[in-house]
Amino acid sequence: MEGRALDGSRAVVRRPDVPLRSLLPLGLFFLLALAFPFLPLGERAEYLMQIAFFTLVAGVLALSWDILARSGQVSLAHAAFYGLGAYGFALLGKVMPWFLAMPAAALLAGLISLVLGAVTMRLSGMYFAIATLAFTEVVRTIIQNLPEGAAGGANGLLVPALLGGNARAQYFLAFGILLLTALVSLAIRRSRLHHAFAAIRQGEETARVLGVSVVKYKLLAFFISSVLAALGGVLYAGKTFFINPLETFSLANSIAPLTTSIFGGLYTTLGPILGATVLRVAEEVLHNAIKNGYLVVYGLVLMLSILWLPRGLMGLLRRGKRGGDV
Amino acid sequence: MNKMLLTGVLLALSGAGAVKVGALLPLSGAGSVTGQAARNGYLLALEEINKAGGVLGKPLEIEFADDGSSPAKAVPEFVKLVTVDKVEFMVGGVSSATSIAVSGPAKQYGTFMAWIGAAAVPVEDAFADHKYFFHYHPWSYYNFEAILDYFKHLRVTKKARNIAIAYEDGPFGSAGINDTVAAFKKAGFNVVMTEKFKTGSGNFGPIVSKAKAARPDIFYWVGYDTDALPLVTEIKQQNLQVGLIYGTPPSWPVGFEKNRLAENVAGLSLWLPSSPNAQSRAFVNAYRKKFGTVTEEYFAPLAYVNLKTLAAAINRAGSTDKDKVAAELAKTNTPTPFGTLTFTPSNKTRYQGFKAGNWLSFQYLGDDRVPVFPLKSAKKTTVWGK
Repeated sequence: MEGRALDGSRAVVRRPDVPLRSLLPLGLFFLLALAFPFLPLGERAEYLMQIAFFTLVAGVLALSWDILARSGQVSLAHAAFYGLGAYGFALLGKVMPWFLAMPAAALLAGLISLVLGAVTMRLSGMYFAIATLAFTEVVRTIIQNLPEGAAGGANGLLVPALLGGNARAQYFLAFGILLLTALVSLAIRRSRLHHAFAAIRQGEETARVLGVSVVKYKLLAFFISSVLAALGGVLYAGKTFFINPLETFSLANSIAPLTTSIFGGLYTTLGPILGATVLRVAEEVLHNAIKNGYLVVYGLVLMLSILWLPRGLMGLLRRGKRGGDV
Repeated sequence: MNKMLLTGVLLALSGAGAVKVGALLPLSGAGSVTGQAARNGYLLALEEINKAGGVLGKPLEIEFADDGSSPAKAVPEFVKLVTVDKVEFMVGGVSSATSIAVSGPAKQYGTFMAWIGAAAVPVEDAFADHKYFFHYHPWSYYNFEAILDYFKHLRVTKKARNIAIAYEDGPFGSAGINDTVAAFKKAGFNVVMTEKFKTGSGNFGPIVSKAKAARPDIFYWVGYDTDALPLVTEIKQQNLQVGLIYGTPPSWPVGFEKNRLAENVAGLSLWLPSSPNAQSRAFVNAYRKKFGTVTEEYFAPLAYVNLKTLAAAINRAGSTDKDKVAAELAKTNTPTPFGTLTFTPSNKTRYQGFKAGNWLSFQYLGDDRVPVFPLKSAKKTTVWGK
């Protein structure tokens, strides 16, 4: 990224450094996740594999949301792209093999995101959030009112199982997509996009003065984020065999990545992934320990964490360290 | 009584070797009211089964799991029940989406499923090839079949011809609305109005005005409990002259029967606490004795019947072998609070329990919901408003 300094000379922005040691926790997470299906977990192995699958999907959603948030866009349209991925996969899967339907559905969601991005370009803050929320509702209504023969209408439609329903293969596919999401996030972190997104987040006018093409970078953030969120939707649809407008485009699918990213640590790669993992594991542990009312305890833990850890779990990890923003 | 208690205690003490049943229910989330009602039904049935000697001379155990009304939670919980808790039979299942989500693991593990809810047609598709799937609740198309039967009866007895339809614009109201209109027309009715509304908006003025101009005999609305009172208030205010207001919300507002505006409003239910049959009365008494109250949720007696019939089939089979139990459960022919339960093929599955004939049409009369159709279950005849 280059711009003009106030004296007219060309200002060159260096690529941000990411110290290798700061990648260690992230690398460790992925190593553990890769080894997970081979751990001697006894009779709990298959059950934990299911939990782990949905944790990886939650990680994809949260991290993809965070990538958009880095450009200052607090979106509530994530459910729309997640749902578009799910529906795109279900419908395109009828005319092409799954491994083509998957990227095609993601690309479709990405292209639609450019429309939303262009329309909401001048909005920010609460107004932007409301517009994205309305967009989700519009997409849901359109899908619901398509002829039942086309997209299942309000009843929803069955989706073929991903990879023949093989739980281990599905897990590795989800692992691969989370890894891809993390690599994209790291690539952004290491590129000049990082500075561009940060500049836009801190003030669009200032960013423009610095020579940042605000329109271009905001749309790019939207595109990247939506493609990845749609891949999460594909995973969900192929795992649960069924999608309907009400549940697939549910507000919960927009709120969950937001809270997960805040809990884990905003504007980082590891934070949203860690947030998804800790929240899912905590929920499951509480669920097994407190059969009735576990959601109350879970909610309290979440509230206290956000109160006492304003920078999320990453705030704990980074305490006393420098340069570890990964 | 003492003998029964002693049997229960001995069975409890001999805990090892109990027959384990897993119950996947929405105990939290959107479907939790239904899920909790079903849980109570299971607890009542479990108590009675174990007091009467359990199954195969062993106590029956039930392991509850909360699917959180979410497919993403239902799948791990289902797998946990089967692989970790090692339940031999699965019961429960309320939401269609969660039921479809568990169809993959169910087929993978060959799980025996005696399922009480999940009435949407895609569930029928998902389990069409599963040989251990017993479905108790009528499929959604049976609901409409029951309504149509009632309306045909009204055509004969009350000369009902014209139907006005108001439906909420979400999945609940919109699903299959075109088929509904087509079916009414095919049955010889005139559909004089078809209007959608946003549930919870409370604004029924324009719809009722249109209905007034269309002069329907039956005003048929498909929405939620929150729409019931605003709608009947508007109908009263605009003095819509209609023979019958018929609604099919998943549940009715609490205390609706006490409101004078509810008088003569009709609806559909699989069961009412006031149902006249002996099994229903026995269930209501047993439920009141155990929980100190009477439930209005039909999922409570449905879960009760579900576990009782499954336990009886295991006993008749003489083992927990899935094929033997399936063969015995398929032979079920027993009176229940909903009428006689038998299993016959549906459009796509092999074992369908209750069907269109088990639905009851009722009217709010006085302070109660009174069955008015089918005639064999009716306590009163329909009060016609025209």
